[in-house]
Amino acid sequence: MPTLLRLAVRNLLQHKRRTFLLGAAVATVTVLLIMLLSLLTGMRATMLRTATTLMTGHVNVAGFYKITSGSAAPLVTKYPALLEVVKKNTPGLKQVTTRVRGFGKIIADEASIQGVLSGILISEEPAFREVVELTQGKIEQMAEPHALMLFEQQAKRLGVKVGDGVTLSASTFRGVNNTVDLHVVAIAKDLGFLSSFNVFVHADSIRELYELDKNATGVIQVMVKNPDEAEKVAADLRKAIGDAGYRMMDPLAQPFFRKFEPVKREDWTGQKIDVTTWSDEAAFMRYTLDTVQVLTLVVVTVLVIIIIVGVMNTLWMAIRERTKEIGTLRAIGMGKGYVLAMFVTEMAVLAFSATALGALVAVALATAVNAAHVGVSESFAVFLMSPTLVLAPDFKMAFLSLLAIAVVTTLGALFPAWRATKLQPVTAMHAS
Amino acid sequence: MTVMNRIRKLLGAGVTTVAVGLLTFEAVFRPETAVAQEKVVEDEKPSDDTVKPWTPEELKAAIKALDDRQRNSGDYKTQVYIERKEKNKNDVVLEAVVYRRDTDDKLMILFTNPKAEKGKGYLRIDKNLWMYDPGVGKWERRTEREKIGGTDSRRADFDESRLSEEYDAVYGGVEKLGKFQAHKVTLTAKKGVDVAYPKQVLWLSSSSGNTLKRQEYAASGKLMRTSYTPKWAKRYSESKKADVWTPKEIRIFDEVEKGNATTILMKEMDLRSLPANLFTKAWLESQSR
Repeated sequence: MPTLLRLAVRNLLQHKRRTFLLGAAVATVTVLLIMLLSLLTGMRATMLRTATTLMTGHVNVAGFYKITSGSAAPLVTKYPALLEVVKKNTPGLKQVTTRVRGFGKIIADEASIQGVLSGILISEEPAFREVVELTQGKIEQMAEPHALMLFEQQAKRLGVKVGDGVTLSASTFRGVNNTVDLHVVAIAKDLGFLSSFNVFVHADSIRELYELDKNATGVIQVMVKNPDEAEKVAADLRKAIGDAGYRMMDPLAQPFFRKFEPVKREDWTGQKIDVTTWSDEAAFMRYTLDTVQVLTLVVVTVLVIIIIVGVMNTLWMAIRERTKEIGTLRAIGMGKGYVLAMFVTEMAVLAFSATALGALVAVALATAVNAAHVGVSESFAVFLMSPTLVLAPDFKMAFLSLLAIAVVTTLGALFPAWRATKLQPVTAMHAS
Repeated sequence: MTVMNRIRKLLGAGVTTVAVGLLTFEAVFRPETAVAQEKVVEDEKPSDDTVKPWTPEELKAAIKALDDRQRNSGDYKTQVYIERKEKNKNDVVLEAVVYRRDTDDKLMILFTNPKAEKGKGYLRIDKNLWMYDPGVGKWERRTEREKIGGTDSRRADFDESRLSEEYDAVYGGVEKLGKFQAHKVTLTAKKGVDVAYPKQVLWLSSSSGNTLKRQEYAASGKLMRTSYTPKWAKRYSESKKADVWTPKEIRIFDEVEKGNATTILMKEMDLRSLPANLFTKAWLESQSR
């Protein structure tokens, strides 16, 4: 084996130009593949993070309160007791927050917009500060009563800046018109289409608008250490809350705003609790994420095919160039298997070295891109839900890519190498 | 904005203005369509300056009379034109027919124009307000305080008046309202009654007792809309054996979104009996087939 390795290294060094070109090609493909996977993983992570910060927890405990059988208010009454049940029965709990939900019209002097209202307590939401990037104002001021945070696009449409006052108008769940005067304390960079309709205000302002007491909220958002376990956590919570005596809604994988009409049609009054996961609440994102995954698969497949064809072609040419050498080696007694092993080892050494180098370059590039906070175009930002490009390389992914390309490249050498072993020594030696 | 878009917008605004102008002209100057029970069409007259303030009993009686004079014991049908003006948007004119059966609190609003709205409608059955959209072929339950057709008008603007049932009144004295003398009355919603506006201030004509001006406030105390009802009509109702008063024109101004306004013109009121099966989902659906 050491002889084979030595031979492979010597051969590679002897054909410097070919080794360099082939190695550079394999390394470039590795860089491309890892960068692409980093981009796609980054997109998925960004979309998930943005959605789970702006509109949903990993698991949501919410529900509807019906004053009459024909009405439906997205409320959880007497939530502190339910919050205790949730805290006690969530394994791997990372963070739990409450938000008051609503829908209203924000009216400024120049224009008005409709918005999905999220009443938050900024002190309970450390992740919110990390995801939202402000262009004006201070996020700490969201702790003030009647504080409002808008996104750039919304502020532009309303023609307002930090310090300006606006009126929030909506009907209470009993149909009474009400208003709350708010002041803009912060304007954040847009985060894709979610930032076109989500508006954040102090939780008490929404309670004031809907004339709710302190014990009413919209949703208990649960963040768990492992978001992949959200389904299991949701199922466990559904059972635990039901066992604690709460009336439960039937599970339905839809965001809460799609449940108003079905709930209005149901013949019951009072409170019912609903438990959903982030993928239920962000069901509209599922299509995008699935598309991204399919795209990843297609691109990776195309890249792998290019690698195999390229390697086979290069080796083919190399073997043609080295026909005399093969004939000589066979004439002095080297067996067919040894010739095959020699070519495959040569390619394996080249492939592993080039992919390792490519992986290092890709990780360095991705880190540099993240550090530079490279901005993206407005249309791409809508899709990405982030104003900057985020690449998410991880060592596991880099190692798997490295291994995959090296193995595929080595396997790609098998066929030309096998053809080389088929040459008769005398024919090979006479080749021009 | 391109030149073509500007021309289109100007043309659109022009057409709307001409249409509303014609409707207003018709409403004001053209004789009302002759219907059998029509007796008198009366607009508000400027009153003299000697108006006595109301006593508490007179106030109570005036609010009750305000409801009673608009209520018909039989059926009611009227053609309405709703013009919506919104800031930075093209004006919209909707045409609808309002049907009412006050004895069992039934109300139906069927849109007939423009084409995009034709066949849409509202139907109130047993205190539930339903909206039908023939485009999707579905009924949706809506709040009683629903804005009709996306305008500033509400169900209550077309429905019978229930002020004495829903509000407590406090008298605010006599005030001059342009050339009219008016009694100012503040209404506050009774406990446990759900109304769109928990507080209203009315200016009632000293000569006819009809509402001339109305200001409606949100629960927060913010003034939401001001409406003017300068023209009223009365017709004799065979079923009621008395006159029924209805507004001919209501001008509503949005006080929060300044610049938004809605004008409602009511024409061709008919107090004759309507078919028994009219206030049904099936009937409303059939109008768009």
